[in-house]
Amino acid sequence: MPFHLSVFLENKPGRLEKIMKVLSEHKINLSAMSLASAGNFGVVKLLVDDPQKAFDELKKQKITVTKRKIAAVVIGNVPGAFYDLLRKLSDRGTNIEDCYGFLLNDGKTAAIVLEIENQPEAEKVLKDIDANVLDEDKIYNY
Amino acid sequence: MFWQKEIETAPHSEIQKLQLRMLNDTIERAKKSKFYSKKLQNVNQLKNIEQIQELPFTTKEDLRGGFPYDFLAVDLGEVVRLHSSSGTTGNPTVVYHTAQDLQSWANISARCMYAAGARKNDIFQNTMGYGLFTGGLGFHYGAERLGMMTIPIGPGNSKRQTWFMQNFGTTTVHILPSYAVRLYHSMKEDGIDPKKDLKLKIFFIGAEPHTEELRREIQELYGLKAFNSYGLSEISGPGVAFECGEQDGMHIWEDFVIPEIIDPDTLEVLPDGQEGELVLTAINRRAMPVIRYRTRDLTKILPSPCACGRTHRKIARIKGRTDDMMIINGVNIFPIQIEKTIMNIPEASKNYIIEIAEKNYMDKLSVKIEINDEAFDGTLEDLEKLKHKIETELKSETGVSPIVSFVDQGTLPAAEGKAKRVYDLRKK
Ligand SMILES: [Zn+2]
Repeated sequence: MPFHLSVFLENKPGRLEKIMKVLSEHKINLSAMSLASAGNFGVVKLLVDDPQKAFDELKKQKITVTKRKIAAVVIGNVPGAFYDLLRKLSDRGTNIEDCYGFLLNDGKTAAIVLEIENQPEAEKVLKDIDANVLDEDKIYNY
Repeated sequence: MFWQKEIETAPHSEIQKLQLRMLNDTIERAKKSKFYSKKLQNVNQLKNIEQIQELPFTTKEDLRGGFPYDFLAVDLGEVVRLHSSSGTTGNPTVVYHTAQDLQSWANISARCMYAAGARKNDIFQNTMGYGLFTGGLGFHYGAERLGMMTIPIGPGNSKRQTWFMQNFGTTTVHILPSYAVRLYHSMKEDGIDPKKDLKLKIFFIGAEPHTEELRREIQELYGLKAFNSYGLSEISGPGVAFECGEQDGMHIWEDFVIPEIIDPDTLEVLPDGQEGELVLTAINRRAMPVIRYRTRDLTKILPSPCACGRTHRKIARIKGRTDDMMIINGVNIFPIQIEKTIMNIPEASKNYIIEIAEKNYMDKLSVKIEINDEAFDGTLEDLEKLKHKIETELKSETGVSPIVSFVDQGTLPAAEGKAKRVYDLRKK
């Protein structure tokens, strides 16, 4: 099951930088991220090419990090494509807790990363709607 | 069972007779000091112990004002040791000891440790600070008097602490409660489970106010018994009062001090069971007798007899210090109320600080808590829920609405000396 990393982030100068420094020092590539904050603190989600190594190295630096299951769906880079995916998911009662996207190399398609840690049924739903779900190694190294 | 059975279990009326005799002796000795020669010049021998209430109080300011020798009641040649408070502003409080003072202090410290279950075959590791602070040396000599092999390791360096515990089979430890929690986490990081890998049986905890919740947590983490202690350098140091096996209040050694509880505002003596400021008279000190010393510690005398058989009365866990009290928008709060609340929320880490600031003429209370690595599930939603939960509980405990925020683990000041938790940023 693919996963991304969820990292606690104090809302202070240099904190995000510290996390990126760890990734950089261990030659870990960041493909996408999203950040949510609630005043003095927040959480950043990181999609990287070697999540286990990133997890271990961040832990060593006493950074608070945890793994969250994800699914990545390829959609066309055209108007309405994401809407289409969301509509199909919500028709089946699947709520998305957290998501972000990034453009794939061909420029014609994009990957949408959906956090499904608390939605074990999401995998089956994605299959049912014939979504183009990326394999685990493709997610990390597209 | 007892270190000194006869005195520890004497009928209370006998103890009072002894106290009267020792108090009268103390008054005569005290009169030899510059300070008490004036203060007590019209005081004659007391006829009953209640007359102690006619004697004047001694305050911390008196001790400071008497720097350096106004309280000394013997020739300097008789003095063998000096202890001193950290005087950040003004004169420090200096306390002198004769050889006999050190012996009687070591004796009551041994009595405390014995009451908690320590015996001569135990291995004692003293993680308190040595030096001017009385926490280290006080129990050091008490442990040696009891006959334990004593490891005078001093504070800090958790890996080294653990190494000594492993290699010498330490069974008893004198430790700050806040440091006990940190030490456990250091052990855990190194893959050591104190319950299985160490031989620890007893922790003597003290030197900072702490809650019953924290004591229970320490006991569970290490799988041992943790005993609360009370003492203050102005009287001698640790060992003035100590928990017995019942772990329900601390026996205050009434052949060493006479305890009273007063209302800190009216200075009226309160009956047993009522909470107020603890006042102590040291009746077994030579170099520097202190009479009716206002400790500024808030507690009460517990009236019931103790199942352990000791007849010396007990005092309740220290609720706080009269000068620790924070006034937030007119509401009185003690730091220990905040600690208690945080201890009761298992998802919250136990490392926190309290900040008081002023904004638009209103006091603002902030509690910053280190993120709990183990409880972090990766969602902002759950962090916000926890923040809200802590804020609600704090509000119901203190009556003040605090702002809770989380900070990175390991970023709050390390609690290797006394943990400084309260930062008052208001303009004085
Ligand atoms: Zn008892």
